[in-house]
Amino acid sequence: MIDPGRGSRRLGAGVDAAVERRMPFVALGIMAVFCVFLVRLFQLQILEGDDLRRRSESNSVRTLRLEAPRGDILDRHGREIATTRPAFGVQLMPSELRDPDRTFAALGRLLDEDPEALRAAYGEPRGRARFQPVRLRGDLSLDDRARIESHRFALSGVVSDQRPRREYVGGDVAAHLMGYLGEIRRDQLEKRTYADYRQGEVIGQSGVEKRLEADLRGRDGGRNVVVNVAGRVLETIDEIEPEPGHRVVLTIDFELQKAASLGFLPDVLGEPAKMGALVALDPRNGDVLALVSRPAFDPNAFAGGIDAESWERLVNDEWQPLQNRAISGQYPPGSTYKPFVAAAALQEGLIDPDTREFCPGHFRLGRRTYRCWKKEGHGAVNMHVAIVRSCDVYFYKTGLALGVDRLAFFARGFHLGRLSDVPLPQEKPGLVPTSWWKERRFGEPWQGGETVSVSIGQGFNLVTPLQMALAYGAIANGGRIVQPRLLLRVEHRDGGVVEGPAPADRGSVPVDPEHLLRVRQALRGVVQEPHGTGGRARLPDVEVAGKTGTSQVVRLEHTEHLEEDEVPIRYRDHAWFVAFAPVEEAEIVVAVLVEHGGHGGSAAAPIARRVLETYFAGKQQPLIETDLAMLASPSDHAHHEVLLAGR
Amino acid sequence: MLGVDRRLLQNFAWSLFALVGVLLAAGIVNLISATATYGGGTIGISDEVRRQLVSMGIGGCLMLATLLVDYRHFERLALPFYALCVLLLLATLVIAPVTRGSQSWLMGGRIQPSEFAKLGLVLVLARYLHRNPPGEIRRLRDLIRPGLLAILPVGLIVAQRDLGVALLTLLIASTFLPFVRIPWKSWALVAVLALAGLATLWSFGLEPYQRSRILDVVDPGRDPLASGYQVIQSRIAIGSGGLLGAGWTDGTQTQLRFLPTQHTDFVFSVLAEEWGFLGAGLVLCLYLGLLVWGLFVARNSKDGFGSLLAVGVVGILFWPAALNIAMVLGLAPVIGVPLPLFSYGGSALVSTLVALGFLLNVSMRRYVF
Repeated sequence: MIDPGRGSRRLGAGVDAAVERRMPFVALGIMAVFCVFLVRLFQLQILEGDDLRRRSESNSVRTLRLEAPRGDILDRHGREIATTRPAFGVQLMPSELRDPDRTFAALGRLLDEDPEALRAAYGEPRGRARFQPVRLRGDLSLDDRARIESHRFALSGVVSDQRPRREYVGGDVAAHLMGYLGEIRRDQLEKRTYADYRQGEVIGQSGVEKRLEADLRGRDGGRNVVVNVAGRVLETIDEIEPEPGHRVVLTIDFELQKAASLGFLPDVLGEPAKMGALVALDPRNGDVLALVSRPAFDPNAFAGGIDAESWERLVNDEWQPLQNRAISGQYPPGSTYKPFVAAAALQEGLIDPDTREFCPGHFRLGRRTYRCWKKEGHGAVNMHVAIVRSCDVYFYKTGLALGVDRLAFFARGFHLGRLSDVPLPQEKPGLVPTSWWKERRFGEPWQGGETVSVSIGQGFNLVTPLQMALAYGAIANGGRIVQPRLLLRVEHRDGGVVEGPAPADRGSVPVDPEHLLRVRQALRGVVQEPHGTGGRARLPDVEVAGKTGTSQVVRLEHTEHLEEDEVPIRYRDHAWFVAFAPVEEAEIVVAVLVEHGGHGGSAAAPIARRVLETYFAGKQQPLIETDLAMLASPSDHAHHEVLLAGR
Repeated sequence: MLGVDRRLLQNFAWSLFALVGVLLAAGIVNLISATATYGGGTIGISDEVRRQLVSMGIGGCLMLATLLVDYRHFERLALPFYALCVLLLLATLVIAPVTRGSQSWLMGGRIQPSEFAKLGLVLVLARYLHRNPPGEIRRLRDLIRPGLLAILPVGLIVAQRDLGVALLTLLIASTFLPFVRIPWKSWALVAVLALAGLATLWSFGLEPYQRSRILDVVDPGRDPLASGYQVIQSRIAIGSGGLLGAGWTDGTQTQLRFLPTQHTDFVFSVLAEEWGFLGAGLVLCLYLGLLVWGLFVARNSKDGFGSLLAVGVVGILFWPAALNIAMVLGLAPVIGVPLPLFSYGGSALVSTLVALGFLLNVSMRRYVF
């Protein structure tokens, strides 16, 4: 027990006796620790140090990093979409560069390049570690490499290296799906996800490359070597093999992906390529079969490190080639929205499918007149015909009867305006307007005229191509909104296989199957019946259902006085076509959006048709190349070496 | 209280001050090499060195400022300062962003409150033990209250996921333990409990990378490219230094940037590579001299608080130095503990200099009554 009287000892009472008595022991303890340090230092530096010192005196021990190749990305049939091959490069070691002018001149002759360009690639020597090699060129041909190797004695400070380089088989065909690689950014290095990454390491910066980074990334190896002054490796002290990344198998069908991508190319040489996006998926299980966004970029340009100029060009491009329009492009759905309005009205009992409404070509609400796209009108139409011929007036009336909030309830029931959690970065949710939303956003009450616009998919409505594919998928499969899947399985190097997420439903739509059947039949009519707007998507052997759509980019007044091809491209309408086939027991849904493409039936439907055609053609013949690809050895990647850069 | 008495100047420990100056100078010279860049044949002075010099200026000024105040007033200031440190630690936890897995920086990464918490802890423990002399502490239960004083900041640092600094702070608090009179049987009980605690921590509390760092000490060849890489490269660097060293800015391990975090945690390897056994051994001896001197100050202090404060300062210097050097020499796991006066790091340098100010303070007032 501590004496309370001592609690406030007066100052100057001297050092506590216990402290004084034990002080020598503490001093001895500290000395003992430092003696251990000195002995250890002696052991390391004097006893064991000789061997290491000899090596360090000739600057000769280097640790080479053996960069691990990233895992391959395959399509569902085992076809390569992204792979890794060895690429040869040439480096300069600043500390060993004796005569820069001669070296650059000699290298220029060997590589058939301007010596000044090489000097520019080398850059200013200021502020750089003396022993850190600088990469001059990253992708040498075999010939160039052989020439450098044979003249190595004359080129002091020149080191050739070999490192894996990512290769995307179709170029820009799957650009947004694959994403691109890039050096890890400073802010990423500080994140926990990237805890074991080093500065300068290359990682997936978007798309599948980013989402599956953990699987695709391999484990770097390393090698301690002794080199001579010219940089030639004399001896390997020890080595750890790099482990390549895992092989990733996607749900994508690469043939379909190619067909979809080609669909956006112009039919006539010289015409501008179409812009927009396409999503094809299997409505039964959510497997994404193709996903295209145009304009695209070539991910191969990023593989060896993209130069600043090209990057600037991509970022500042007016048409934003880096944006993945399939999941983050938000567009008014136009007439492709009508089937949801019809389904909602059927479910609510507001329309009888057989009752006809008269379309005189326009519709009055208060003082405003809303026109049908067909000026002379459709005459008397029932629901089926209204969808087949895409009559606006029928849907103006139906939409008004429903009201915007009930319409929004059903649109959200089809998962419009909601994220789908597709495993790709930067998905956007779109927008389903409600009266509450408008009140909050603009502080103004909802107008009846806005309901008119919304019921034909104009106005505030915004959807992504992926959302349309999922919503039409629900019409096709009897009401299930499926979870979009991209990853089929990950095949580990040791033979282990990790299956991707199992097919799952995100929810079911609040519409009874018999009503969906009605809508489906109408959509079949759009493509298969004589007056349908989607006739261009017709296939010889399979029945197709679909819906065209045209969504306005600017108000009609701005462009109506112009002829169709006089309208500036950026003011032209977006063209939609969403289709599925076969009509019953559908196996594939395709949503196509062509930006500023004009009419859905003419601009978008042919692309969808091309994809459907490819799909059903592929089903008939067995895939021979698939089997070959499956047999290919997974481990024939060459390693390659990079000097471990300063960190 | 303020104002400088002529007698104080006479008693000022100029040689101790000079010893600190020599260590600081050696630290800067070494840091220049550790962060050297190549610029057309001349050695460039890096931003790190510039910032370190600024920190040194700030720390030096603070150190001299604390000398003006008689250390006996620190006893009264101990509790408020301790409370302030705890508040800062709390603030860090709430507002600071997580960088590299831990969350321990304030003011956009300029201030690391855990460094100053050590000072607060030493002050408050010296005050406590002055009022409850260690000679009177005979039972484990008497350690509960000082223990709680130590656990509070340590717990907060653990919450910041900065385990290395947390361990360090705990060890600094333990500097006072050799002076309490608790029988060895009680210590045996503590040892058993501590082992059980460590075993629990090992299985549940450590991240896999932390576990592997500990295993690397036992077997550095286990994973030469991941965590073992640091240990191996450090050992090669030290070994290649030999007797005389490779020479300043000529160590290949250092200049090739093979050494991990060579300007912070592994700064001693740079020293050992470039200055050899003689240089590194000399620095070790200077360090030892500083510590022993600190103990002399503690013994010769005119009052209990001054003596305990000096002991605490010795702890503040000894534990990070011992852990850091043991880590660099491959005798202890790789934990992020900087070497006082040598490693790059502003907060650590400033707090170390302030602690040395306490020591000088106690030393120069040993005859004044």
